[in-house]
Amino acid sequence: MMNDVLRRLVIRAFHITNVEFAKKASVKGSTLNISREILSEIIAGEELVIDMTVSVIKPGETRVETNTIMDIIPVSTKVLGRLGEGITHTLTGAVVVLTGCDQDGRQMHEFGSSEGILAEHIIFGRAGTPAETDFIIHVDVLLKGGQPFNRALPTAAFRSCDRFMQTIREAMKTNEAGEAGEIHEFFDRAGTGKKKVALIKQVSGQGAMYDNLLFPDEPSGYDGGISIIDVQNVPLILSPNEYRDGAIRAMD
Amino acid sequence: MGLGPSTKETSLHHFRDPLVSVLSNDSDIDFVGIIVVGTPQDNRMKHFVGGRVAAWLEAMRVDGAIISCDGWGNNDIDFANTIEEVGKRGIPIVGLNFIGTIAQFVVTNKYMDCIIDFNKSAEGIETQVVGENNITQLDARKALAFLKLKIRKGESS
Repeated sequence: MMNDVLRRLVIRAFHITNVEFAKKASVKGSTLNISREILSEIIAGEELVIDMTVSVIKPGETRVETNTIMDIIPVSTKVLGRLGEGITHTLTGAVVVLTGCDQDGRQMHEFGSSEGILAEHIIFGRAGTPAETDFIIHVDVLLKGGQPFNRALPTAAFRSCDRFMQTIREAMKTNEAGEAGEIHEFFDRAGTGKKKVALIKQVSGQGAMYDNLLFPDEPSGYDGGISIIDVQNVPLILSPNEYRDGAIRAMD
Repeated sequence: MGLGPSTKETSLHHFRDPLVSVLSNDSDIDFVGIIVVGTPQDNRMKHFVGGRVAAWLEAMRVDGAIISCDGWGNNDIDFANTIEEVGKRGIPIVGLNFIGTIAQFVVTNKYMDCIIDFNKSAEGIETQVVGENNITQLDARKALAFLKLKIRKGESS
């Protein structure tokens, strides 16, 4: 029976053991330098964003007060090819946690919220959450008050967070392959002659804070992503490699 | 409608999705891909998208499918409808859903005979803790094991 490789995806993971602030984002060995320089520019360009702060929460220092968690996002970037094939660089040991509320103190959520002491509002070590040993790059967005709670409001926060993350991604594109702590190789295959199984992922697509983006330009990114709402929630097919390369950006 | 902090699937969850990882690494099956489907507001569209998922599966000639759902309440209607559409076409299907004590199914049908509840909170409720009621590797392995059984049962009957 044929066993054809359809495409190959390589994910190089760079392990971070320290996060520092610097003038410009860079990865030096296992130290990630992040920069706040772009924040004023992002805020100026977003009508609904009043303020945006970036801080670093070190492992074991998670008993800090935050606004509701809007998303937890891996920092990954394409270095070769498009989503689902080629080469992707990702960070381990550091993830972005996006939180937000508006000037009226309204938390950015739809159905129950997670503001309060961070350590009490996360189960660490799940697929979708940081490990206890991870550094958290905490991005908090303050949105304009007195606005209707529609898609525009949380979307402004997601987009702003992503613009900040892009500064880290750009720096990661030039990471030396030899410095990767782990290299994972994934293949989409066909014709194995085995029982064919598909996975159906039902995701939210009803409106503000019930949205998901598909196929962003960068893994788990924002720009270029297509909203499941905008395609009328109809089913789309992804190859396993596309999916594991960050083809879905949660906005719910 | 419901999608709270504990059932929310973060972008990181999708990136490291336990279902994708388990299905990819199982040597007994040919994992053909992932169908991502949304949850429209109105009922006509809910039925439409569920029917389209089933049509895709039929066209792909799959031997079985696993469906997971990232919310509960209103989203259960989509979940139940899609399972029914797939089941009616004779394709074995296993579901994963947050049920606990507060999210019993609003609607049900005869094809929903194999549903795994991934509630992990002690009280069986949606909580304000991110990641608490998420699918883990164990849930994913259970789903695949049940699907293999269901496929085999279908072959022998």
